[in-house]
Amino acid sequence: MNRMISAALLGVFFSSQSFAEVVVVVNPQNSATLSAKSVQRIFLGKVTEYSTGEEPLVINQAPGTAQRTEFDQNILGRSTAQVTASLAKLVFTGRGVMPTEVESDSEVIDLIKQDQQAIGYIDASSLTNDVKVVNID
Amino acid sequence: MKQALIASALTLCCTSPVYADIRINGFANFIGGMTSSDETVYGYDDSISFSEESLFALQASGDINDQMSATVQILARGEDDYEVEFEWAYLSYRVSNNVTATAGRFRLPLFRYSDSLDVGYSYHWIAAPRNVYDIPFNNMDGFRLDYSDFVGDWEIKLGAALGTFDNEVFNGNVEGDNTYMLSAEVGYEWLNLRGVYGATKATFNQQLVDATISQVAMVAPEFADFLAINEDSGKFIGIGLDIDHFTWFIKAEYTEVEIERSYTPTDNAWYVSAGLRLGKWTPSVTYEDFEGDEQKGLDELSAQPEALQPALLGALQGLNAAFAQNYTVATATLRYDYDANIAFKVDISRYDDDLNDAQDATLARFAINYVF
Repeated sequence: MNRMISAALLGVFFSSQSFAEVVVVVNPQNSATLSAKSVQRIFLGKVTEYSTGEEPLVINQAPGTAQRTEFDQNILGRSTAQVTASLAKLVFTGRGVMPTEVESDSEVIDLIKQDQQAIGYIDASSLTNDVKVVNID
Repeated sequence: MKQALIASALTLCCTSPVYADIRINGFANFIGGMTSSDETVYGYDDSISFSEESLFALQASGDINDQMSATVQILARGEDDYEVEFEWAYLSYRVSNNVTATAGRFRLPLFRYSDSLDVGYSYHWIAAPRNVYDIPFNNMDGFRLDYSDFVGDWEIKLGAALGTFDNEVFNGNVEGDNTYMLSAEVGYEWLNLRGVYGATKATFNQQLVDATISQVAMVAPEFADFLAINEDSGKFIGIGLDIDHFTWFIKAEYTEVEIERSYTPTDNAWYVSAGLRLGKWTPSVTYEDFEGDEQKGLDELSAQPEALQPALLGALQGLNAAFAQNYTVATATLRYDYDANIAFKVDISRYDDDLNDAQDATLARFAINYVF
């Protein structure tokens, strides 16, 4: 409940700045079943496999971008610093790798075009036919 | 930016078939502190020092094939004059999505923060509570098996480790043969519970202790055998509770370390830590309690000839006093997330020694934590 309120407040805050409606995207050929929970688990390194058994290539946008802030707050439900802290724990115990980091929506789309197992997020306004939106509601 | 550079450097390197895909990550803690009086706390005294807890580390890992990877972590600690040490070096084998086997030198995953103890960025303290985490067997050589899975919304993690450790401590050396450890952890959204049990065959050698015990052995070999930590079974248990509602959290752990047949007191330690997350700020308070001053061996002593007892009691009390500790620490910490991979922290701790009030002291520290 608290989280919903703070998410809503943040929403208000961001709408006055640069509002980003972030959508999670994968390769159109990716047939894995994905939900909000499985997306969270993949981006926090808690699972290392899609429902299809394939290994995801996780793509993050650079910290501080509207997309990253929005994704971390609303989909992962924590601050970017907290996400980095959880990932650092996995990386420095040999049980995870840092997600690939890119600087723009078009780089996310390019990587997803090249790699069938890639998963990322972009602003809805950048959507193209090269990627498929994951329905996480 | 740096990450992007490294990423592109990696992309470049990996398009060439000569190099394997090597991932480089690192972390650093730059920590300074001083106490309010002549008393020393955690190595700090009344003039500022930057070397007690600062450290710099680099980790390189590479995939050998789809299932196997190799990892090396080198670490330079201020307290060791920044001499570079191979902290960890291990091979991991991904048996399945849920099971990973590890062989080599790695962190013994005893307590909740053991794994990432050196990565200051990963927690809200400047240093994880010393009463629980300052143990002489943090790293071990051997095998480790980790299992993790989700059952509905519950995350389940099981771990087992087997091996040996050998560390310098208290101006001496502690060795643990046949060390094994089992851990279980369950998590549900905001709740996490963890339990661990471990056992070892411990041997501790230190000049003064050894001298005392060999004197005892001349008159009372059986009692000396009781006193000595020589392939004696030791055990450790730990329980952890973590409630994290993101905007606020409470974390607590309780641990017990015991070598039954020895002079060394059983250590009981616990802490409770609570904090708030207010945007980039994380204020928190932590209370630590350490009890390890019980006088052991009085029953064994009474089985000795009466004439010897006063002298043996002297030796027993001397050994106990050298290792007995009983204290509490109250700490207030403030963390500020300066950037996605840099945090600044300040804290102030009040150390209360229940065995010797003259040791009471206040410690103030600052820290810069970095990960990449």
